[in-house]
Amino acid sequence: MTSQRIKLLISILLPVTVLLLPISAFQIEGLTIVEQRVIAIFLMAALFWILEPIPIYATSLLIIFLELIMVSTKGLKFIITPDSPEEFGTLISYKDIMHTFASPIIILFLGGFFLAMAATKYRLDQNLAKVLLKPFGENPKWVMLGLMIITALFSMFMSNTATTAMMLSILVPVLAVFLPGDKGKVAFTLAVPFAANVGGIGTPIGTPPNAVALKYLTGPDYISFGSWMAMALPYVIVLLLFAWGLLLLFYPISTPKIKLTITGSWLKNRKAYIVYATFGLTILLWLTDFIHGMNSYTVAMVPVAVFSAFGIINKNDLKNISWDVLWLVSGGIALGLALEASGLAERLVNTIPFGTFSPLIIIVSVTVIAMLMANFMSHTATSNLILPLVAALGTSIMSLGPLGGNKMIVLATTISCSMSMALPISTPPNALAFATGTLETKQMAKPGVIIAIVGLILNYALMYVLDIIGFF
Amino acid sequence: MDKLYIICVDDQREVLNALTEDLEVFENHVKIEECESVKEAWDVMEEVDNEGDYVALLITDQVMPNNTGVDLLKKLSADIRFGATKTILLTGQATHKDTIEAINSAHLNHYIEKPWKKDDLHATIKTLITQFVLDKGLEYQSYMDILDQSVLLNNLRKTT
Repeated sequence: MTSQRIKLLISILLPVTVLLLPISAFQIEGLTIVEQRVIAIFLMAALFWILEPIPIYATSLLIIFLELIMVSTKGLKFIITPDSPEEFGTLISYKDIMHTFASPIIILFLGGFFLAMAATKYRLDQNLAKVLLKPFGENPKWVMLGLMIITALFSMFMSNTATTAMMLSILVPVLAVFLPGDKGKVAFTLAVPFAANVGGIGTPIGTPPNAVALKYLTGPDYISFGSWMAMALPYVIVLLLFAWGLLLLFYPISTPKIKLTITGSWLKNRKAYIVYATFGLTILLWLTDFIHGMNSYTVAMVPVAVFSAFGIINKNDLKNISWDVLWLVSGGIALGLALEASGLAERLVNTIPFGTFSPLIIIVSVTVIAMLMANFMSHTATSNLILPLVAALGTSIMSLGPLGGNKMIVLATTISCSMSMALPISTPPNALAFATGTLETKQMAKPGVIIAIVGLILNYALMYVLDIIGFF
Repeated sequence: MDKLYIICVDDQREVLNALTEDLEVFENHVKIEECESVKEAWDVMEEVDNEGDYVALLITDQVMPNNTGVDLLKKLSADIRFGATKTILLTGQATHKDTIEAINSAHLNHYIEKPWKKDDLHATIKTLITQFVLDKGLEYQSYMDILDQSVLLNNLRKTT
């Protein structure tokens, strides 16, 4: 039997066992049948996302499918008709589950995708990189800083993978002109994926874990695009500077001069101008919701509508949208929905005496667990699994209140998910950098681990400061 | 991981041996099949396709008894099952006319003259396999070690 089959078997057998256990076996007061089924679905999701016997987006679709059949109001008749309604629990509206495919968060990401696609198609990314890189001259140290700043900036609006691919394709030809044995090659190659990972923290659309977080930041915990950036940008800048210094310390550059050449010039046609203007306008609208009242989800439709109307994104381009990323997030939202709507989240928190733990221990545990998990599996899948549980803690543990409550712990955990960049398998950007063949795993792991630890400490510091200034 | 095949066709056994020896670096990710005639190559390719696997690349000689390499290339390019398959004509004896025919009527991807240089051959195969993997939309991560970085990076720039 192949290891893939064994993984599949484990991922199916364990949840099925949980499903078949008598309800008394759980030792949870008042657990309903619906809640038991949600536990089984959650366990299945966790095993499928960790072991990956099937693609991670397929797991998301499986979650939605199973929820619809097993715990929705329009599920399979024979298993959703209760003998005794009290022990059975409450079914979840099938519409709510299906809505996760088009939730405002998904639309926000779709808007981000349209912006990124148009920027790449009309070479806005490349031309902007060229202009921004110019002031950094030819001193390798400063060129590297420029490279990192630009990568981080772009990855706030484009996918981390696309940003890394673009910056590495600029960088790789230059690596050949480094002096033989110059460790600086390693520094440069690592600078790109690290900056992309850190930059993703900067905006709500920077990386999919941020999208998942938005599901748990509603009502009084709502966070606007602008206030997300106001919170995250200082953090990104500090961590980026730290990463820059660390890479230079570990892998000093001995090549005296580096010149990154970026080809091409600004497109000057009607469609290109529409792209430039729409890009600027969308970001402006995202940052000024307090003036016009449209929230970030509504504003995300601006690029979608404009680019489609003017044929800037055409039918063929639509096929290039990463539907797998959107559906991966949808599945996470559906999982969170099931936990909340079935009442399971609340019951679990009430059953386990979290209230007696120190809130600091809870914060440190969940952020460290998130960071460790995300090193070995998809960042998005990690946040899909951990954030619904964290949000349940956040909303029910009173002692977290003075420290910033739910909003604080959700944001801290989300940032931790993006801290994982120690291994080639940690993120697609890391894998791409590793594939250039300029570095070994341990050369990536050493700075990666240090950045993650410092990132966590800075994360706590940020939350402390935000709490003091009354951000939460 | 999807199974990819490289099909090598040459009527001279020694050439085939030398060629497959030079392709050893790809063996961890791709299966390499040796065929001594066009007919044998076609049978192997149909078998691969029937198994649901992929003929990623065909490397063929030109001058062989019965059917020539260009015959094979033309038949391949007309067959929808192998629409994405990449092709290399590896020969010392193709005439000008053969070559033109291979490009115009059989969409030849690459022409390499015998005797080949190992490094050039590797680079070409990497590029073509990368294009095949991306054209077919296969999971590129599983083949990372044998892919051409710049082709891959340029393609991933379009990721949303």
